[in-house]
Amino acid sequence: MNIIVCIKPVPDPQYYDKVSIDPATKRITREGIPTIINPVDKNGIEAALQLKKTYGGKVTVITMAPPNAVENLREALAMGADEAVLLSDRAFGGADTLATSYTLAKGIEKIGDYDVIFCGAESADGATAQVASQLGEWLTIPHLWNVFSLEPQDDKALHVKTKVENGSMEWAVKLPCLLGVARELNKPRFISAMGIIKAKNKPIAIWGKVDLAVEDERLGLTGSPTKAGEIFTPDLKRKGEILTGTLEEMVDTVIERLRTAGVNVQATTKACDCCEGGGQK
Amino acid sequence: MMQFFQFTEEQEMLRKAVREFVEAEVAPKAAAWDESDTCPMELFPIMGELGINGIFVPEEFGGAGMGHTERAICIEEIARHSAGLAIALMTHHLGMAAILDFGTQEQKAKYLPELCAGTKLGGLAVTEPGGGSDFSGQKTKAEFVCGQWVLNGRKCFITNYHADVNVITTVTGQDEKGRNQLTAFIVEKGTPGFNVGRHENKLGLRGSNTGDLNINDVKVGEENVLGKVGAGAKIGMACISEVGRAGMAAICVGILRGCVEEGVKFANERILYGKPIAKLQAIQFEIANIRTDYEASKLLLYSATGKKDAKIPAATDFSLAKYFSSEAAVRSSKRAMDLMGGYGVINEYPVGRFLRDALASIPSGGTSHIQQLIIAGSTLSDFKA
Amino acid sequence: MTHKIWVFAEQVNGVLDRVTLELLTKAKDLAGKLEGKTEIAAVLLGKNVKGLCDTLADYGAEVIYVGDSAELDLYNPMLYAPVITNLVKEEDPDIFLFGATAIGSELGPTVAAQLKTGVAAHCVELRINENGLLVSSVPSFGGKILGEILVPDNRPQMASVKPGIFVQGEKETREPSIHWLDVTDLKAEGLPLKALRIDKKEPKGVPLEKAEIVFCGGYGIGSKENWAKLETLAARVGGAAACTRPVMDEGWSPGEHVMVGTSGKSIRPKVYIGFGISGATHHICGMKDSGLVINVNRDEHCPVFEVSDIGIVEDLNKVLDQLLMTIQ
Repeated sequence: MNIIVCIKPVPDPQYYDKVSIDPATKRITREGIPTIINPVDKNGIEAALQLKKTYGGKVTVITMAPPNAVENLREALAMGADEAVLLSDRAFGGADTLATSYTLAKGIEKIGDYDVIFCGAESADGATAQVASQLGEWLTIPHLWNVFSLEPQDDKALHVKTKVENGSMEWAVKLPCLLGVARELNKPRFISAMGIIKAKNKPIAIWGKVDLAVEDERLGLTGSPTKAGEIFTPDLKRKGEILTGTLEEMVDTVIERLRTAGVNVQATTKACDCCEGGGQK
Repeated sequence: MMQFFQFTEEQEMLRKAVREFVEAEVAPKAAAWDESDTCPMELFPIMGELGINGIFVPEEFGGAGMGHTERAICIEEIARHSAGLAIALMTHHLGMAAILDFGTQEQKAKYLPELCAGTKLGGLAVTEPGGGSDFSGQKTKAEFVCGQWVLNGRKCFITNYHADVNVITTVTGQDEKGRNQLTAFIVEKGTPGFNVGRHENKLGLRGSNTGDLNINDVKVGEENVLGKVGAGAKIGMACISEVGRAGMAAICVGILRGCVEEGVKFANERILYGKPIAKLQAIQFEIANIRTDYEASKLLLYSATGKKDAKIPAATDFSLAKYFSSEAAVRSSKRAMDLMGGYGVINEYPVGRFLRDALASIPSGGTSHIQQLIIAGSTLSDFKA
Repeated sequence: MTHKIWVFAEQVNGVLDRVTLELLTKAKDLAGKLEGKTEIAAVLLGKNVKGLCDTLADYGAEVIYVGDSAELDLYNPMLYAPVITNLVKEEDPDIFLFGATAIGSELGPTVAAQLKTGVAAHCVELRINENGLLVSSVPSFGGKILGEILVPDNRPQMASVKPGIFVQGEKETREPSIHWLDVTDLKAEGLPLKALRIDKKEPKGVPLEKAEIVFCGGYGIGSKENWAKLETLAARVGGAAACTRPVMDEGWSPGEHVMVGTSGKSIRPKVYIGFGISGATHHICGMKDSGLVINVNRDEHCPVFEVSDIGIVEDLNKVLDQLLMTIQ
């Protein structure tokens, strides 16, 4: 079974509270934030490695990213993927999900033979969650999004469950197909020392525009129907009044404020001096 | 050309991989292991899959086939969050190193794969109630009776005393000058007469098991002799002086990095008089001292492991690294506590544990005084005009 | 020329998703900002769904395109997307809104890819600019950054919005114009993707998104026991309990349906009381439209107090117990 996994290098989400906008350049500053494999993409790699274990074949990881993404691809190879492809070209820059999925589709067509394609359901940074479905459309294969359970029927069909609000949907899908996976699908394996050694000699192909059978006007910024406007940081600040007094006093204040805000609260009446201690005062 | 110090791409990748494991599986539970003094045995099979157990063991015996620099990286990363687990691992390595460096092909093939996999735990037992560094003064005896070795004695302060595969030094005779001749044996858990004794309640490095081994008429065959009869002192010394001290220094470097990171975090977050205390010079002096201790320890450690990987004798280098880094870890964790004021003594913050772990690191692999003697000995001869 | 604003009417088992009505309300608002004639339409697919038309009309749909077929009973992107794509090609709407639900998050971009147009995903605000274009505000980096997205040259301008972002408006009775789509040729049989079943269980108690008061636990609550206390408090005042992602990951809360944040639910209760919340943007973005915001945290420097109306610097266990003693 030949499996392709799409991954995306993203700034580590642990540090998103440090992201800001440079007031002078109006650009997002993400300095010092390490770039990692988008976390849920690792669930895709894990799913691919598990399928390969059962059915044999080859796992290829692919990404569209700047040249330094080789490092992230090497990590995917260390996890156990067999080969990697980096789609990198200035012409790919500024792509929205439609142009990104188009470019990935062309890369995947060049790889050729595949049975299953995995993508993470969404990326941590942009979180549009659209690339998986759109990639499936460009490749004209069945696709599902938010997959949290996956059972191969044989090497031709899968039984899949997807998450929906307060529940799930079950599907039967024939290969080839594309699955956008959710983090509940599995627990991605850690990278092992043995994996790191093996990854050293695994191939990473780097393809630019000239290597792919692409229509130029579908690439990058030109090929993106969405255009970015202003960016800003939302102002979430509130007045931040810190209560003082004893615990009882603070909680009483809270209850009073709840009532002012229109919440119906039944509270015990406060113990008063005269009834405390059975009135023996 | 002189090269500046830099890890290879694979080493950086390994560090990142181990860190990911540590942040997920070790960091959240480290304080609990410390408090309850329990060794997380369930992590050894996972560390086996990651190649951490057998990091320096060749692939043919189930290892990752890397070296001692990579081993130090793994231990440092684990010790950053749990020095207790780190010393259990480093002791596991000690037992494995003894078998790898001195064992027969059969012994390596028999024991190393399971030790690498983490389905069995290894250990090395030398210290006795009479002392640890006085090797030849030990009292545990082995006698060859009717084609079998019969072992009797008691070992104490043994980390991983609950190990499955134990390398044990014993006295098997005297040389022509009347000095004790030592022989090392591989003794498996469950061998009749071989029992664990008291469990020590330690100040630090909790989460590793330390205690006694009681050895009463333990019978093992000749195939359990490690190396040659009479080679026990050499085996014990070689393992402790290089593998053991490397491990202890790596633990201390991990603790030191913890001091740097926790200190910086606190200094930036703690606001006094309207600004973070990191803006105060007095705090900056502490931060600078901690950082310097960390960097110096790291250089000593990795320079020594680099030599060992290059097969250059590095016993003195490991003594230097162990001596400096353990003392540095003690003073830097104290500094980090000072910097945090009252918060430093609250157990929700890990720096108090760092200090206890650092203090407990001093006797393992030889106290600072022992290291000083080794360093002085080599210095007095190497620097003689 | 009439500006057409469309909303995908999402239904499962004959029940409309609340986001549909929220989107219709927003569509009315957008229509008011556009110059010239406007028309708001809903696209409704399913089996025996005619009964939902009145509700759609009541909340703003002037035109309803209904595709009614047994084959459309269960959502399947391979059946739903082509029906919608063909309809869009015929009718050429200007704006097309989807709920950023599990179904909408897949169907929206699928239709967009078939039409080669753009979708702004998970919008938190929609407006019309001076050129009559839809401007969508989209969060990124866990809500830390908001970016505006436009689709200047392609139609429709598509956007998806999570449930709870927009407020559902008042009902107004209206007679809709219903257009029946020809779906007689649709066949699920033979497609490589087959929907087998959908299981939905409405959670017990007051649904989080409808609660007037929400007791929310962050990582600081530290245990399942404290989660139970939040639920008890919520039950006593007719509110709901909610949590942050780490609490869900630890397994202290029952699951994703009570998680608030950019990747969870968006809520706007009258009162939000947080316990042991760190103040990470990811979570705050999911509750920022709440009325009164109260937070309890023992760390006086905790950033959460900057995004609170009222702060209590105290051990949350004590405050929880005191609240349990006081509130009956």
